[in-house]
Amino acid sequence: MKVTIDDVVLPGDFCEDIIKAGEKSRVILGPGLRKELEKIFITKAGVLRKRAPNTYWVDSYQKRYVPARGENVIGVVIQKAGDSFRVDVGGSCSATLSYLSFEGATKKNRPEVQVGDVIYAKMLVASKDMEPELVCVDSNGKKGRLGVLNDGFVFKCSINLVRKILNPSCPLLNSLKNEWPFELAAGMNGRIWIKANSMRETIAVGNAILGCEYLTSEEIKSMCTNIASILAGHVS
Amino acid sequence: MTTKRPQLPKSVLEMKFMRKTRERIEKELENTQGHDSLYSNIITNEMRHATGNFISESSFIFCEDLLEGRLSYKGMNPEIERLMEQDIKTSDPDGEMQKDVSDEILYKKMEALNKKRKSNDTPNKNPVLKKKKKF
Repeated sequence: MKVTIDDVVLPGDFCEDIIKAGEKSRVILGPGLRKELEKIFITKAGVLRKRAPNTYWVDSYQKRYVPARGENVIGVVIQKAGDSFRVDVGGSCSATLSYLSFEGATKKNRPEVQVGDVIYAKMLVASKDMEPELVCVDSNGKKGRLGVLNDGFVFKCSINLVRKILNPSCPLLNSLKNEWPFELAAGMNGRIWIKANSMRETIAVGNAILGCEYLTSEEIKSMCTNIASILAGHVS
Repeated sequence: MTTKRPQLPKSVLEMKFMRKTRERIEKELENTQGHDSLYSNIITNEMRHATGNFISESSFIFCEDLLEGRLSYKGMNPEIERLMEQDIKTSDPDGEMQKDVSDEILYKKMEALNKKRKSNDTPNKNPVLKKKKKF
């Protein structure tokens, strides 16, 4: 069926608007879109979205992570294999993380990473036919925000929820950030790591994140004030 | 082929001691011409006429404008908060700058300045003319 922007789309639908845009200038086809012959086909069920100038993608509900290059993910080290670590990121197979791809690591000076550690890393290689590769440094050799996540609490959620809370228009983080100190790492693989000073606060952050999946912006704001008042009432 | 390599003249290649070179050159020629026929069953017309206007991207991070996924608030992790501040500074260096002089004051000052200039312009014309005469 022919569809247009902001329609609910199903796999097999095609969009002629994108073809027209592609005749004039470059077009970025995001997840859920595929060019086949002279048509753009939808490959996921969801809502067809557009962002100016020429970016199209399908906003779909998904819990299975498919590794993609450049994404920041949260993984668990499951094995030390010679000169690399095997890291479970929730994809179809585990990812490799070289011990040299940490800040300041050399062959003699190995990073202190143990099996079972939670790490925040960037996807360097993610292709259909090879296992993904992670790094914990940027192109300048600095660790930036990447590396081992100590303490805290990890939970899984849908990939949509991660995108929702990281969207600048989502009021969740803005309404929580002035309430109590907390730290958060959101992986694009649908895992979120949180850390706060007390268990009560950690649970509050986790519940706030999980609760906002199907709420509107207004509802999120009221939920956050609600949680904050409950927390303030009990902590005397 | 646009770049032409220097070629030996035919008369030289026909000499007896150039047999090996001649054979090699013939082989090279065959190789370059043989490519089209060799892959003709694989290379389709579509491949020849395919244009690169569509870029496939498998990640949402290049489609949506998302925040960096590592955040810290109220001094939980000062290192991350410093990075967050740096990011905000670099992301909009030419955003709303604070005005030292309000628009109204600027307008009044500029008006006064323009009036001054106009009054200055009239007496200034004569010395300029004088200068021209000198040349």
